[in-house]
Amino acid sequence: MNGGGGKRSFGSGGGGGRGKPAHGAAGAAGKDGQRRPMFRRRKICKFCAEKIDDINYKDTKLLMPFVPERAKIMPRRISGTCAMHQRKLRTAIMRARQLALLPYTAE
Amino acid sequence: MKRKYELVYVASPDATDAQVADLHVQVEAIVQRLGGQIEKTDNWGRRRLAYEIGPHKEGTYVLEVIVGSGELMKEIDRRFKVTDLILRHLVVRVDEEQTVIERTRGKRTETSRRRRVARGLPPDRAPGEGQREPDDDRDDRFDMTEVDR
Repeated sequence: MNGGGGKRSFGSGGGGGRGKPAHGAAGAAGKDGQRRPMFRRRKICKFCAEKIDDINYKDTKLLMPFVPERAKIMPRRISGTCAMHQRKLRTAIMRARQLALLPYTAE
Repeated sequence: MKRKYELVYVASPDATDAQVADLHVQVEAIVQRLGGQIEKTDNWGRRRLAYEIGPHKEGTYVLEVIVGSGELMKEIDRRFKVTDLILRHLVVRVDEEQTVIERTRGKRTETSRRRRVARGLPPDRAPGEGQREPDDDRDDRFDMTEVDR
């Protein structure tokens, strides 16, 4: 959603550079409709990179980063985990939840 | 049929140490009666539960690694379901997964050794060799700053 940030106008107008995508009525910034090509880092699978073979339900420290605040399982699209490891991660998290090692939801 | 299982159970925080020990004895009795054996017992002690189970906020976790038949685990499962002292329990078969893990691990070290030898290096890594600095900028793992368009 970091769309409007491109080409900041000088002087007046363009309120914060980041933030609001300038859609709708003629936005001050980025009226040429250009998008700064956002540099996106390639996501990599943590388990492949660190060569973690065993995704175990007892290892809550390993699983914790994949269940952020709301305690939902972080999707692959965000975490970058590969399909195989996401599957293993899912079973591990679900088992850990059964034993109250991880929460199902945040209060 | 010999299979390896992991059994984890969470005992109520009201249970005394003696009662927890008694649970272990019960498991042992069942295992022995049905021709299995306990490979390992690990008491994790009291831990905070991730969510409240009834009135409880803590529990005593015990892990047992059992080699035996499925019938045996069924019996333990049945018994634990009706034991009030146990808040939660989980039985997982682990032997198949363990062999897979060992195989991939073995394969990986083997290829790395082969390649290192081909490059004229000693087959095993010296400690610290080729490791990234813990605070390395090239590390491009997800760090919550990225926003999906």
